[in-house]
Amino acid sequence: MSPDVESRLHELGASLTSGALGVAVYDYLSDRHWSFNGDRWFHAASVMKVAVLAALFDAVDRGSRDGDRRFTLDCRLHVRNRFLSIVDGCPFRVDAGRDGDSDVYAAIGRTLRLRDLATHMIVRSSNLATNLLLDLLTPAGVMATLARLGVDGVAVCRGVEDDRAFEQGINNRVTPNGVVALLRAIVEDKIGSAQASAAMIDILHDQQFTGTIEPGLPDNLRTAARVAHKTGEISTVSHDAGIVFLPGRPPYVAAILVESAGDARERIDAGIAASAAVYASVASAGEGVGR
Amino acid sequence: MSGGLLPLPVVDAWQLDVHYRRLLRPGELLPARSGEVHRLPRFFYEVRSAFDAVNTQITPHFGLWEFMEVDLYEPEPLRTYPRYVPCAVTALAAALEVLRLEIGAPIRIAANGGYRSPAHGGSASGSPHCWATAANIYRIGNEYVDSEEKIARYGDLASRLLAGCWIRPYGHDVGLADDHLHIDLGYGTIVPRQSTEAPNPRDGCEPRE
Repeated sequence: MSPDVESRLHELGASLTSGALGVAVYDYLSDRHWSFNGDRWFHAASVMKVAVLAALFDAVDRGSRDGDRRFTLDCRLHVRNRFLSIVDGCPFRVDAGRDGDSDVYAAIGRTLRLRDLATHMIVRSSNLATNLLLDLLTPAGVMATLARLGVDGVAVCRGVEDDRAFEQGINNRVTPNGVVALLRAIVEDKIGSAQASAAMIDILHDQQFTGTIEPGLPDNLRTAARVAHKTGEISTVSHDAGIVFLPGRPPYVAAILVESAGDARERIDAGIAASAAVYASVASAGEGVGR
Repeated sequence: MSGGLLPLPVVDAWQLDVHYRRLLRPGELLPARSGEVHRLPRFFYEVRSAFDAVNTQITPHFGLWEFMEVDLYEPEPLRTYPRYVPCAVTALAAALEVLRLEIGAPIRIAANGGYRSPAHGGSASGSPHCWATAANIYRIGNEYVDSEEKIARYGDLASRLLAGCWIRPYGHDVGLADDHLHIDLGYGTIVPRQSTEAPNPRDGCEPRE
């Protein structure tokens, strides 16, 4: 990371109200990785859903090889809004009014394909779809996938809206470096086949929330850029993490995690400015290095 | 074998291939959670296609398909056609039809909440769903049956109308229900006319291995 970029990220982090900025980047053009607060833990918010997506594809891939618990993305799962807290096993429901997606609620009582649940989980950030998939895969299963991939810095321990766990400070957490490592595992076909990676990237690319990475790109590139990403929003964080495909160069992977006690606008503006700094950094990397 | 109450083939599951028999466990004694044992059904309707499932009407308001939706917790061979549904499904549909006529609104049975096999991951030991004599109702008309008040209201109505039925009480613990109305008729089986309960009509005494 150049001194100018580091200085800019320091400045953006300092502008947050009792908060922190974390950034990690890997550029396939230069083969360089750098980070700012790269190993700092943040509340994961919905960025944890990328880990669930990876674990789902991993489970499908392993099942197809060893056949012990075989299922495919076309298998169907009962849609039921009833989950058990990891704290005491008491049931809880996901609040439709707080969910980014209403489509999955319309299927309560029936079944949906795993592929469709995964899409709802990422594209519209469906909390209900996430908890259904996490019930199937289990947090331990997700962590086993991450361990197999060598991904540190992503900790999934519970479903979304497990308020009893939240009250006890038990949350899913991520570091910028951890999220970039996870996205790199997807890009580098480490989860099943190249076809599986392409499918995961397609789902991430269909993201319907804007986030901060794309708005931070230069105006003339924004329409040509393809950003496969996942946002994460709660009252104190505004994250965005994704794979940025630009014309004429290999992609780069970025995680921009913003935490503050201020309002969402403050965090989003800081995230967009950080994305602009990231772009400036990778744009200056030069050509012909790396893969 | 053909015949039975529905226009579908009836099979003696002892005659099915071993991989089906291992999953359906026809005629086996199944211990229930509370300690008693019950004998699993032996006679099933064979449903050869989704077309047959959708087009087989059991009662005026209930089609066979409504009792058959299962998810990936059902072993794969039992999720693909031909599929097998215990003959007692007709008794369950008849009971629900009485309730449907009284309420005057559609009754929706949840996935995994009609027939599911003893091999289904959600089949607690001895679940009457394995007999096709139980239904989990998640919606009546436009109303989700997911609160204590609704479960009690519809449960009381079902108890008055359906002699001998059992309603799972409301609650959050194992053995209770908080997001659906569970109605069951106990562990009934139906042996269609022209079906024999001889130990094994083909080779004498035991299910073939």
